[in-house]
Amino acid sequence: MEIVDFIAAIEEEFDDLNPGDVSPNSVFRDMEGWSSMHALIFVALIDSKYNVLLNGDELKSCVTIKDLFDITLLKINGGGANT
Amino acid sequence: MIDLKGKTILVTGASAGIGAAVAQLCSDLGAKVCITGRNMDRLSEVSKHLSIESELFQADLTLEKDIDDLVKALPCIDGWVHCAGIIEPFPIKFIQSKHIKSMFTINFDSACLLTSKLMQLKKINTSASFVFISSISAQHPYKGGSLYAASKAALESFSRSIALEFSSKGVRSNCISAALVETEMFEKTKNALSEIELLGILSSYPLGIGKPMDVAHASAFLLSNQSSWMTGTTITLDGGLLLNTKK
Repeated sequence: MEIVDFIAAIEEEFDDLNPGDVSPNSVFRDMEGWSSMHALIFVALIDSKYNVLLNGDELKSCVTIKDLFDITLLKINGGGANT
Repeated sequence: MIDLKGKTILVTGASAGIGAAVAQLCSDLGAKVCITGRNMDRLSEVSKHLSIESELFQADLTLEKDIDDLVKALPCIDGWVHCAGIIEPFPIKFIQSKHIKSMFTINFDSACLLTSKLMQLKKINTSASFVFISSISAQHPYKGGSLYAASKAALESFSRSIALEFSSKGVRSNCISAALVETEMFEKTKNALSEIELLGILSSYPLGIGKPMDVAHASAFLLSNQSSWMTGTTITLDGGLLLNTKK
């Protein structure tokens, strides 16, 4: 799993994002029109694509896209509580 | 004054939140309560505070065997408040069959199976009252809540069928359609909200968000003889939220 694929999946998911709009250091809550629905989409996307379920606390602890990627990767590799 | 003396009341999902409050109030009003939940330690903690000695039943209502065992072990009951349930948000385009199953198994299937088995084993006394805890989302959905809202709408519909099918035995069935209540479930979902969103939600309640005991009081009324002419209905508890709903 590479972060470029992770970012590509996110950019494809949101209609208002174009390829290249998101970088590892992008603060996802600063995305235009950010709402809890976007948070739900992140959680559902990661669940359906990587079979990893992030809980509310884990999501809250993430600031950047790289944070999200890292915690997803950690849980894929057996870390975290709900892999 | 609501009086539940002499009644035996089953409370499912009693280990926390609304269920725990319902158990507490029913006990305070004189009922013997049978409380169920998955975690015996948490049930024991709830039972410590009850006014009248209660019966505790560890049961995972997502498992049919646990429902069978629970019904066999229960005494005959005069009322049941079904508080067991989950809330898991999912955007529609990501829904998989596992999500539908997990939501409906506890929020809806458990109510159907428990009702059926209670009737089969004749564990329901004449003129018993069933109360199902529903949600305003059954009629007023929110983004990401399609499965939860659908499961509660199904529950409300099922409650009306109970009211019809068992009216000859004097059994009544009603729902409480609650808006946001301060429970552990709410604490968990808060994490997905920004501060601005949270403030927006809280400010949309003219009377503020609910407390578990608010739902318990309405439940006690529906369990009591004072509501003996009410069946197949749904009481809305929303702190005035829907007054502001745009038409």
